[in-house]
Amino acid sequence: MQSSLEIKNCELYRQHEQLLSLNEQVKGGEILTIMGPSGSGKSSLLNWLTGTLPNGFNASGEVWLNGENINTLPAHLRHIGVLYQDALLFSHLSVSGNIAFAMPKGNKKQRLEKIEHALEQVGLKGMASRHPDNLSGGQQARVALLRMLLSEPKAILLDEPFSKLDTQLRVDTRELVFSQIREHKLPAIMVTHDHSDAEAANGKLITLNLAK
Amino acid sequence: MSVASNKLAASPTLKPHKSADIFSKLVKLSPRFLLALLILPVIGGLISVLLPAFGYAPVLEHTTLGLHGFTMLMQTPGLTHMVMLSVGTGLISTLLAFIITLMILAAFFNSPWLNRIQRLLSPILVIPHAAAAIAVGFLIAPSGMISRLVSPWFSGWELAPNGMFPHDSFGISIILGLTLKELPFLLLMALGVLAQPELGKKLRQQHKVALNLGYCPMTAFFKVILPSLYPLLRLPILAVLAYASASVEMPLILGPNTPPTLAVAIMHWFNDVDLNLRIKASAGALLQLVLSGGLLALWLGGEKTIKALFSDLLTNGEREYGGVYWQKITTVLTVFAISFILLSLIGLIMWSVAGFWRFPAALPEQLTLLHFKSALMQMQSPLFNTLAIGLVTTLFAIIITLLCLESEQLSAKPLSRFTSLIIYVPLLVPSIAFLFGLVWLQQLVNNQAAFFNVVFTHLLFVLPYVFLSLASSYRRLDPRFAHVAASLGATPCKVFLHVKLPQLFAPILIAAALGLAISFGQYLPTLLAGGGRIATITTEAVTLANGASRRTSAVYAIMQMALPLIGFILAWVLPKYFFKSAHR
Repeated sequence: MQSSLEIKNCELYRQHEQLLSLNEQVKGGEILTIMGPSGSGKSSLLNWLTGTLPNGFNASGEVWLNGENINTLPAHLRHIGVLYQDALLFSHLSVSGNIAFAMPKGNKKQRLEKIEHALEQVGLKGMASRHPDNLSGGQQARVALLRMLLSEPKAILLDEPFSKLDTQLRVDTRELVFSQIREHKLPAIMVTHDHSDAEAANGKLITLNLAK
Repeated sequence: MSVASNKLAASPTLKPHKSADIFSKLVKLSPRFLLALLILPVIGGLISVLLPAFGYAPVLEHTTLGLHGFTMLMQTPGLTHMVMLSVGTGLISTLLAFIITLMILAAFFNSPWLNRIQRLLSPILVIPHAAAAIAVGFLIAPSGMISRLVSPWFSGWELAPNGMFPHDSFGISIILGLTLKELPFLLLMALGVLAQPELGKKLRQQHKVALNLGYCPMTAFFKVILPSLYPLLRLPILAVLAYASASVEMPLILGPNTPPTLAVAIMHWFNDVDLNLRIKASAGALLQLVLSGGLLALWLGGEKTIKALFSDLLTNGEREYGGVYWQKITTVLTVFAISFILLSLIGLIMWSVAGFWRFPAALPEQLTLLHFKSALMQMQSPLFNTLAIGLVTTLFAIIITLLCLESEQLSAKPLSRFTSLIIYVPLLVPSIAFLFGLVWLQQLVNNQAAFFNVVFTHLLFVLPYVFLSLASSYRRLDPRFAHVAASLGATPCKVFLHVKLPQLFAPILIAAALGLAISFGQYLPTLLAGGGRIATITTEAVTLANGASRRTSAVYAIMQMALPLIGFILAWVLPKYFFKSAHR
């Protein structure tokens, strides 16, 4: 069965003011882009999808992942990966520690091999035992990407993940992320300010308006 | 440093303004003054205990160094039991308070309950150890609140049973009292760390990332937050451990008498009519120092061991450790802890207004204000002393702290790490170990100025808390206000008095309320430095707790709690009327 992420009749409220309403389906390998000014509820939508909607926000509607209703599942059982603006690597673990944290349980040696292989694929060969604080912004973004991908998510959310990278780095990292999404055929939703991100995603584009 | 003083220095005909000079000099000297104030008395006290321990006490006509102090100590009957009691109660209560704190944090990390628990437990912080001990004593006594609540329908007791609590020889009562008192402290310290804007935000985001990666909330806390949080909690935990192993108030009120904990025994020896026991007491004080130091070392060693053992566990990918069950257990534990605390307070209040209250009634049969009236009549002198000592001590502490923090900004260098560690010294060195020596030194210098000696000794314990409380607010002041004022021609002194202080009105009041609370609750320092001549609410309360009427000691315990509470209420209310614009 093809993987898909469906948002059914989502209505998002902050206090009592309606922020947005959405009804979309994203198929595996496709990227839905959502743009809109600050305060229009983009990040809140992602919070709702992952089950981490903060106090002060209400929402109605359903999330269906691969044909299953995951609305009632708590955040840690949804298997939806998220990439944020900041890499948010854990500073008490090394690069390989960060990635190993995200991987499912398994044979220690096999996991290490998998990590080494993945690092090599994104051009970070030999950096397994480096400390995350010593990496450049672009390197951190790539480690964060690996961490998310190796947790074997069923869908991917991107919360303005490239906005802190400079232009050339932005293009390269974006290509890397999108190619991984297409290769693993995962449904993805991206929130961004940047039109070039939307163009590169080459999927449906939704623009949110500020609630009146 | 400021534009104004540069300009003045450059023009040869203008002399720098005199008051600015004095102010800057004063400020520059303050950190060294602070260090001296904190280190010298402690070291002086330790040395003054060291010498008699090895037999050198000219006052008692012992002038030969030797080990007979230690021999006398070793021959004390029940010494092993005393040591085990001190070490055991200290370690177990700290471990319990620490583990329960972690479980509460983990279970309620992103839930609004954490805020509610914080608000519920904050007032408990200011309850002095003596009052807390009295309250817990009332809770677990054979005719206390717990047995009244379950009698006679559950326990079948028509008469108060022969109970072993409090004063049980295993120290369980002490452990209970210490845990209930230290749990809010550690929890609120941790919440304070998490409330720091940048660190808190980063940690919460990382918790969210861990949730997204499939980790249940409690596991996410232990594997992601704790490693970053623990180093910032280390010093408060060590302070708790040091206090718990060497405390005098708690075991005095809740502990066994034959034999008591080591600290209590030392106190009895020092106060004994037979002056020769002072040698034994000094040796005992050294032993206590070694024990507490050993416990600190044990904890630090344990920390490293756990880190080494569990580092693999962090990245093994195991996401679920029965999180749902742990969450339920934590909820039960939290409810228990909070109910115990609330119940003991309610019991305290009821005893203070109780007329005839026969067991097993859960409520007193008569209510009367007689106890309060008669106590208040006798309380006037201790009350006056308590307030006077508290106010003077806190005033000194605030002034010194402000000057030190100002020196940090004027010299553009943060206080050295050394200074930051020294702040904790009076909290880490067992007070029983150095207080007697300090008092002896004070008597050498001037034995008439009891009030001054008491204030000086209180200052040692009030300063660390006032400093820690004010430091974060002071350092967060926007430096641009000072720069603007200086560019308008204001001297550093003027900037300090007219720009910085008004902005700090609310934090200063809170630090003052905290300092007052600490001073109000001091037992041993008042007793010793005042030579028994100065009675405060706390010294009276402790004496009453071990003797006379339960009702009177309840009244005194409530007074002990009411005084700091008034301080905090003032700290909360006054900023709403004065310097309103500075308070956002």
